[in-house]
Amino acid sequence: MGQQIESALRQSIHRIVLVLVSFLPGILAFLLALIVFTLIGWALSALLRRLLTAVRFDERLASREFPGAPAVIADWSPSSSPTLLAARVTFWVCVLAGIAIGISAFDASYAADSRYSVFLLPYVAHLTGAILILVAGTLLARFLARTVLIGAVNAQLHYARFLSLGVKWLVLVLTAAMALDHLQIGGAIVELAFGILFGGIVLTLALAIGLGSRDLVSRSIEKTMEKPTTPRPTEVPPLTETEPPPRPRLRHF
Amino acid sequence: MSSTAITADATLPDAQPSPTSASRSVAEVLVCLPAIAADALPTVLEAIASAFPGEAVLVASSDPPANASDWPSLELIPYSNARTGVGWVLAVGDYAAAAHLAVERDARAVILLGDDTAPIDAPLLRSLADSVRTKNIDLVLPRFTLGPNDALVNSGLLYPLSRALFGADIHFPLPIDAALSTRLAQRLATSTQRLMALNQGSSLLWPVSEAAAAGLSVREIPAADIAPPAPPQDDFNALFATVAVSLFADIDAKASFWQRARGLPKRPSGQASPPPIAAIEASSEIHSMIETFHLAQDNLQEVWSLVLPPQSRLALKKLSELSPDAFVMEPDLWARIVYDFTLAFHLRTLNRNHLLGAMTPLYLAWVASHLRTVSDDPGRAARAVEITASAFETEKSYIVSRWRWPDRFNP
Repeated sequence: MGQQIESALRQSIHRIVLVLVSFLPGILAFLLALIVFTLIGWALSALLRRLLTAVRFDERLASREFPGAPAVIADWSPSSSPTLLAARVTFWVCVLAGIAIGISAFDASYAADSRYSVFLLPYVAHLTGAILILVAGTLLARFLARTVLIGAVNAQLHYARFLSLGVKWLVLVLTAAMALDHLQIGGAIVELAFGILFGGIVLTLALAIGLGSRDLVSRSIEKTMEKPTTPRPTEVPPLTETEPPPRPRLRHF
Repeated sequence: MSSTAITADATLPDAQPSPTSASRSVAEVLVCLPAIAADALPTVLEAIASAFPGEAVLVASSDPPANASDWPSLELIPYSNARTGVGWVLAVGDYAAAAHLAVERDARAVILLGDDTAPIDAPLLRSLADSVRTKNIDLVLPRFTLGPNDALVNSGLLYPLSRALFGADIHFPLPIDAALSTRLAQRLATSTQRLMALNQGSSLLWPVSEAAAAGLSVREIPAADIAPPAPPQDDFNALFATVAVSLFADIDAKASFWQRARGLPKRPSGQASPPPIAAIEASSEIHSMIETFHLAQDNLQEVWSLVLPPQSRLALKKLSELSPDAFVMEPDLWARIVYDFTLAFHLRTLNRNHLLGAMTPLYLAWVASHLRTVSDDPGRAARAVEITASAFETEKSYIVSRWRWPDRFNP
């Protein structure tokens, strides 16, 4: 009995070690490809930067040599420098190429009928997609939250922060649900949880805005409903003190 | 200086037949009119004829009247001016079209009239043209009569920045009417060429900084009893963002000039002391603006911390603790805040729309403080504007240092 257990354990350890050993070349190939291409990208980027600086690329672009191009490029460039933009694009293209080649090498290190390869590689693609969704969603949530916050403050809404947080979490919840769906995790539970959370946030926001704006709405309705009462011709208008002249309205422009 | 070629564009009058050298007039003055209603045009032409009696004047109009012979001294020429989206001030398209005509017609003085609603003041028109022709000034702008609560963006932002950075003591650097020399017209034709090619005729242009950067002379002349026209649209936030973005972009583009440029000579020291605060209660408008500032102080710390150094944020915190009846923003604090936002615009610290949105409550805080100080008195208003502009001049070293070494100052 003991020998059988020992044999079973030994066999399973052996199998795991074999799997790890078969994994290792692929991982090493992936890392090597990534490091080499990152270094190539860094070198190319530095070279390009020096070259463009030497030929005064930014100044030439800003002059009238290429009408139409400078404003658009400068607008998307870090610190308004098209040279920096070109250098960074070169670097990241090389890094992405390294990742693609690494994954390809990882794939090639397996036999075609390997069940790990069949399972793992599509999942890596899904994982990459989910990470991209998460990054984009987080950036969008941050941007929208800030836009709403600033707009609400300038509109003198006292619940500006609350509104901004609501928008931020709406986008984050949506992003998380999309990422999980992309990874095929959770299935119907994720959809249900997403529906409940999303609906909850929207209801909370609606209640908050409704309650917060109650005074504003009631004042607006009162203004609409109340009509100015004109004195009857027979009535003597009440004596009022002479009102001071209205202060001049301010003009910003 | 030779004439400058201008790129053909739909907004420029290239499609119109160019006058032959034989048909060119000897008129020295070219007046470019905005789009005016047909029934108002005769009055305008009458005013121009009376401003230049017995003198030949070229008048560019987008829709010349049929009875042009009623004014024999005026030569009416077609002109496709590009009225702008911003509308009430002159923009790139206006300058480009006028510069094109000025170069083509060899005019010595070009007068651009931007406001299509106010009646034309003949003496002002004459003064504008004479300053360019006889005093050899390259850019002449009218100085409008301001009420104490008028043109606050001008008083708090445009004038102080223009004076401190470009050394131009011009109270309306974003002109509604302007007179240009041929030299400046040629320069503007060149600088607007690229923008016109990009179909950005409605963008704002800052002729004062253009002239200052080119070493050309700039003057303003008083426009007695004429108030500046108001912009047509009512959305303050959008208009403030449009003007501030354009101004900051211009400052960014001319950084190499203003970092070297010397400012105006120092005023007498008596001007430097701040005016006493009037013992007035804050009005509802002031309360509203202070409330916006308090709201921003509570909510926009995260954004402000990316732009403002700790000293400024501490000063703002102290300011937020003051009651509305004691609310005063010191001019030097306001100057540093504006400079910090200018730098953040240059460095793209955050999205530019967010940046301008985050600046709006601070501007409103300055307005609230200014209105309390001014207390509806034109004399006090003029003094307060002068003190604000002096503060911008004094703090110029701050922006120069931060511009050159932004990391050293990072919070």
